[in-house]
Amino acid sequence: MAVTPTAALVQTLNGIQFGFILFMIASGLTVILGILDVLNLAHGELFSLGAYTAIGVFGFIIGVIGPPGGGVVGTAVFILAVLAAVLVTAAILLPVGTLFEAVFLRQIYDRDQVYQLVLTFALLLILLDVKKFIWGDSSIRTDAVYSAINAIPTSELVGLNYPTYNVFVILVGSVVVVGLFWFFERTKTGRIIRATAIDREMATAIGVSTDRVFTLVFALGAFLAGFAGAVAVPPTSATLEMGTNPLVLSFVVIVIGGLGSLRGAFVGALLVGIIRSWMITLYPPGEIAAPFAIMALILLVKPEGLFGTWGETA
Amino acid sequence: MPERVDRDGTPAYRFLGVEVTRREAAFLVLGVVFLFVIPDIASLSDSLQLSVIHQGLLFGFAAVGLNLLLRHTKLTSFGHAAFFGTGAYATAVLARYAGVQSVGLLLLGAIAAATVMAAIIGVLSLRHTGLYFALLTLAFGQLLYAIALGQSALGGSDGLPIRPGPANQPLLFGTAFSPDVYQILTYYLTVVVILIGLFVMYRITQSPFRNALDAIGQERTRARFIGLPVRRYVWAAFVISGIYGGVAGGLYAVVRQYVRPEGTLFFLRSGDILFMAILGGFRTLVGPLIGGVVLVFLQDVGQDVTQYYEFLTGMVLLILVYGFPRGIVGSLRSGGIVNTRLSELRREPSVLSTWGRTAAQSIERKVTEALTSLRIILFGVD
Repeated sequence: MAVTPTAALVQTLNGIQFGFILFMIASGLTVILGILDVLNLAHGELFSLGAYTAIGVFGFIIGVIGPPGGGVVGTAVFILAVLAAVLVTAAILLPVGTLFEAVFLRQIYDRDQVYQLVLTFALLLILLDVKKFIWGDSSIRTDAVYSAINAIPTSELVGLNYPTYNVFVILVGSVVVVGLFWFFERTKTGRIIRATAIDREMATAIGVSTDRVFTLVFALGAFLAGFAGAVAVPPTSATLEMGTNPLVLSFVVIVIGGLGSLRGAFVGALLVGIIRSWMITLYPPGEIAAPFAIMALILLVKPEGLFGTWGETA
Repeated sequence: MPERVDRDGTPAYRFLGVEVTRREAAFLVLGVVFLFVIPDIASLSDSLQLSVIHQGLLFGFAAVGLNLLLRHTKLTSFGHAAFFGTGAYATAVLARYAGVQSVGLLLLGAIAAATVMAAIIGVLSLRHTGLYFALLTLAFGQLLYAIALGQSALGGSDGLPIRPGPANQPLLFGTAFSPDVYQILTYYLTVVVILIGLFVMYRITQSPFRNALDAIGQERTRARFIGLPVRRYVWAAFVISGIYGGVAGGLYAVVRQYVRPEGTLFFLRSGDILFMAILGGFRTLVGPLIGGVVLVFLQDVGQDVTQYYEFLTGMVLLILVYGFPRGIVGSLRSGGIVNTRLSELRREPSVLSTWGRTAAQSIERKVTEALTSLRIILFGVD
């Protein structure tokens, strides 16, 4: 198949866009893993909960302020509505995460890891049916949001026919990446969290409330997953099963990057996103298998992943 | 013939290396008889389907294999559906492309394929322990799932039918049977395989090999210092557990005569297998088998009763984690939580209200804690 430079560029951009979404999911997962030592199987459901909630909130906002008109003002109003929906969604996910950690997870930190897997899997199943209860069995179409954003012709500026929605995701994703690294490198809370990750006992000794850090970290993870879900509201429809694939792919991402390494998660997410996107044009059957193949390859060369463990550097 | 021995003062019998007290022997005989009469029991009621129990036993058998890793080496494999699926797909491919008709040969193929697969995945993922190992096995399982889904030769998402030869079904003892008879016969084949498998697992767990695995599970470095070839032993255990998965998968394919990626290789199946082991009690030998039947039964019956059957399963798992961490068999054993609580209740019935009060109080405390944390996260400490 002949691949023109433009097509290659578009595919790469698609890959980067998907990579940013993956990073938002995987970062929450990896932070929880790095500090709580818990593999949160319900993370994908939090992601999809975010997507469903965002659709609902967005519909509500548009219902209140009326459908966005044309022109600059209408466009601005529309983008603000999308951003507001995203933020409200993330704010809703925050207490969900807090409750999960404080009510369920906290009881079983000292048990075998198996029980944590069973617990988070039980939460996955329960969340699945909670979604089914609230939003019904059938998928929810989301073309409205998608096509309305795409109607904004930002891409005409550079003469490349590329969906504005994807540009939006890349922009929001970049802000999240910068924000996360800033949070962990520069803020006091971020440093406290990292200190807890490196040496839990020492952190306790210098007066850090590890209980609270754990809750905070889990809430942060849920926040990120919900945020990702809200931003990534899939172009066509939101389905009950939409949480599974991102969950498994973010496992791959954090294994590639090194367990619990934020930087690794970022590199891994972009790598997986881009290669998966290339595969779609080059060899479609390889789309699902490619990320796992990269993972196996990297593990053969570097068993501990591309970057070390978390805490020493963000 | 059974030979009488003395075990800590109680008379016990030893036969083929299996040592049981009289009480255990009764349970054993009862269990075997029960396995054999299940087809008759299943014909009594519509809600008890032989195929459901059969499927539960097969997944439970895979869980018995997984349990070897879980119980002794403390390794949590989250990709055991990989071996189940490998066995199933090997059977399907042999039947479809090589025209193999005999059930025995198909099962041998399944075993061979699962052994090779377990050997490869073992080498790659056993460099790690803990969560990393769980993640790796999961990822390899999903890789196989992706391959089965992506290759049109393997039928993609439609899967592969197993209808070799003119009889359109695998042959038992070189003969084709009518569907009803075939179902019963394959069930008894499963029972025989399970009994052999349990016997082998029992022997393994009575051997020095098990002690070595226990030592490795407790403390790897120490195990290496006392001279155990840690990597090789864990790898052997991994391959053995993979073979159990492969046998189960091969039988599943022969029984269902159809394999799909969703039903055999998907990571939720891996989760099912893991949870069967824990549900039944992973510190016991037959626990995983019972957990398998219960979990599959729960999912099937739940599907008939309510559309929210995942919620039901989730709740059962939650209750399991907090109330009965030793699983069904582990809790029912003498000295287990159920017996202890029952005897307490018999002695003093009013203890019930105390339990209720304690539970309510602890839930209330947890929610208060969570709300406090939330307030602190959102508004800081005041």
